[in-house]
Parts: sequence; structure tokens; C-alpha cells
Amino acid sequence: MASVIGGLIGTLFIISVMSMLWKDNIFFRFGQAAIMGASIAHYTFMNFQSVHTNAIKPILAGNVLFIIPLILGLLTYSRLSSDVSWLAKYPTNVLIGVGTGVMIAGSLRGQIIDQVKQTILDAFTGLNGILIFIGVVTAFSFFIFTKEHTGALGTSVKIGRVFLMISLGTNFSGEIVWYLTQMIGRLMYILNEFIWPLLGA
Amino acid sequence: MATARERLAKATRFYQIIWALCLIGMFIPLISPLGLPVVVSEPVKAYYNSIVDLPEGSVIGVSFGASAALLDEQEAQFLATWKTIFEQHHKVIFYCSTEDASIVINNELEVVVPESYGYTYGVDYVILPYSPLGEAGQAAFAQSIRSIYSTDINGDSLDEIPLIKDIDNAEGIDLLIYEYTSCTDIEWAVRQWVVPYNKPVIATTLGCCGPMAAPYYPTQIQGFLSGSGAGTELEVISGNPGPGAAMSDAKNLGILPFLAAIIWMNVKPFIGKEE
Repeated sequence: MASVIGGLIGTLFIISVMSMLWKDNIFFRFGQAAIMGASIAHYTFMNFQSVHTNAIKPILAGNVLFIIPLILGLLTYSRLSSDVSWLAKYPTNVLIGVGTGVMIAGSLRGQIIDQVKQTILDAFTGLNGILIFIGVVTAFSFFIFTKEHTGALGTSVKIGRVFLMISLGTNFSGEIVWYLTQMIGRLMYILNEFIWPLLGA
Repeated sequence: MATARERLAKATRFYQIIWALCLIGMFIPLISPLGLPVVVSEPVKAYYNSIVDLPEGSVIGVSFGASAALLDEQEAQFLATWKTIFEQHHKVIFYCSTEDASIVINNELEVVVPESYGYTYGVDYVILPYSPLGEAGQAAFAQSIRSIYSTDINGDSLDEIPLIKDIDNAEGIDLLIYEYTSCTDIEWAVRQWVVPYNKPVIATTLGCCGPMAAPYYPTQIQGFLSGSGAGTELEVISGNPGPGAAMSDAKNLGILPFLAAIIWMNVKPFIGKEE
């Protein structure tokens, strides 16, 4: 019985959120607020726990250096007051600096050299490789804005545009299928957690 | 000439009809499964082979960045992956990189119970708690696990856990399964695991993130699963049926109204006046 009640509550939330497809209404707003509230509470708790484990506990154990990241983290909240908002630039700069430093070495080899090398090598392995090579070169040419798109460049740009459209279409179809999956998942939840248990199936 | 408001209302009605048809199409196979055939794609075969080709007892790191809100898209992938790993008796270090991940992994491991495969917590698998690992966190983890985690999810010191007491960096990990839901995050695995350590990496992600992972396959990542469809394929190839099968049928039928609408909207301008 308890699982049926749990399933019923879940089903009501699903229906209340999906009622937005009909029009904005109080059930949708209630469902939205409840889900947002629960999510924010959960995320706040998990992140506080992370700060406690990774900073506060080591400081209490005598690792005073951990006070530096803690202070930098707290400085982020200085944005809440316009008088001291400039202090938030320090943690932001640290984040950008560390982020850039960490990513730059890997991106040069992983995302430029290896990708270019493989695209060229694959061009000699078959039709797929040739198509990818043509697609990469022509799609890149679409973004050359320092020269008028006429002549050979114009032809390349037109071909590149087709490849870009295909790429965007593929991404869009992935999005649609993703929405469908989410919808199917909710339908499965309603069936498996509420309707079938209710019917005793 | 229709006003903008009338055209918008007409378009809305059109989409409502498409979604209604889609809903009916999705609902039928959930009540009465159709058993439509599933073809296993190359990235999924490569993903599966990366796990089963490892010698028994290899250590697999699972960077787990799941989101509870997106679980429908990935549950089939997860369940089939855990079953495949446990059947091969590999050792697993799960580490959670999103707020939801520890809840999701605990729920998953109540369905695919590791102990039923002869596993013992701490000896054969371990779960490390949530830590907000961005790219810098992944880099730090690969360099020194203890720089990120001092305890497991139960609060026990890593130095007291048999599986991980002698492992502190990428050298101790034979394969990384990189699970993510933000499409560009695959670059983190490439930049922080493949380039510096040349570690074999396979990835699991959402369907919409597949096109972003594809350029890295097979040179930099050895295989990948994108979306519930790939989860279904993994269920088929690994012989571990799960929620993906029912989902696959429903998706195949549910997508038909969209296909019809796309074809109609592309043909319509050629056969009549476009509004």
C-alpha cells in the first residue's frame, strides 16, 4: 500500500508538471515549486557537506592552508554587495587561471593535433573518411569572414553549409529522441509504480 | 492573411496533435511489448569489448556524473554496464562528480546487487562520495586520488580500504568509464586521462551528447554509449535484459509522428503556398 501511495504522489507530480502542455495553471506551479525547492535543498546540503569534508575538517585537523580556498570561496559571495563586489574578482581569476592552465596542454594535443592527424589519415581509408575530410574543410571555410564568399571559396562555403545543416539536424534529432525517452520514462514510472501495483498486476 | 497570433495558435495546435499521437505511440508498447529488433552499433560493440577484453580482476574507475532528472535516458546503460563489469569480476572504483550521483549509484546497486556476483564492498568495489570535480578535479584525481578524497562514502579512510589502499592515481586504474551529462565534458576525459596518461577511456552519456563524443571515437575514446538506445544495444550484446528493451519499442513508435511531421513540413513548401 505504501508503494502505491508513493507511486500516486509521484504520478500526481508528473501530471501536474506536464499540465503545462495544456496551459499554465496552479497545479503546474505547485509541482514546479516543489521540485525546485527539493532540488535546491538537496544541492545545498550536498555542497555544504563537500565544503565541510574538503575544507572545514582539514582546517580543524590543523591543516591551516585549507583556509585559503575557503576564503576564496567565501569571497565569491561578495557579489551580493555592490560595495565589495570587486573582491569576487580574486576567486574568479584563480578559477580561470587554474582552468586554463589545466586544459591548455591537453586541448592542444587531444583536440587539435590528434583530431587533425586522424581526419587526414582517415581520408585515405574509404568513403566515410573522405566525406568527413570534405565536411571538416568546407565547414571550416564557412567561418572565413575575412574574404568574400565567391569563386572556389563560395563553392566550399555552400558545401560546408550543407554539412553544418546535417550536423545541426543530427543534434536536433538527438534532442527530440531525448525528450521522448524522458517522456517514456515517466510513463513507465506511472505504469510500474502506480497503475500495475494498484491493479495488483 | 493570418495574424501572427493566429499562426502561432495554428502551429501550437499542430504540435499538440503531434505530441498526442506520439503519446499514444509510446504507450502501446509499454502495455504490450512488440519485441522490435535491435541492431548493435560499432561504438557500443567497442564499449562492450573494452570491458570484457580486460583481464579478470582489472581495476575500472567510474567517473559517475549522473543526474537523477536524466536517469530515464541512462538507466539502461548503467544497469547493463554494471552487470557486464560484475560478470567479468573486475574491481570498480566509483567516484561521484555530481550532487545526485551518490544517490543514483546507491539505487542502481540495489537493483544490480554486487554481492550477488560474489563481490565484497571495499575489496571488489568502493564508492567515493560527491566531490565537485570540474576539469581541474579530474586532473587532480588522476594525479592523486587522496588530494580529492580522504574517505569513501561511508566515511572510512581510503588507507583502510583494501581495494584502494595501494591505488592513488591513474596508474592504478586499467580502464576509465566516464559518465557525464553535459555534452562538452567528454573533452575533460580526453584532456586529463587520454592525453597525459594514455589511459583507455569509454564513455556513457545522453543521446543528445552522442554527436559531441563521436569525433573522439575510436582514436581517443575506445567506445561510447549515447542515450537509452545505446543502453538497449548493450543489454542485447551483453545478454542482460533491462528497462531498455521496453523503452526502445516505445521510442520507435513514438518517433513516427515526428518523422511524418518533418517529412510533411519539408514537402509542404513544394506542393502549395507556404504560410
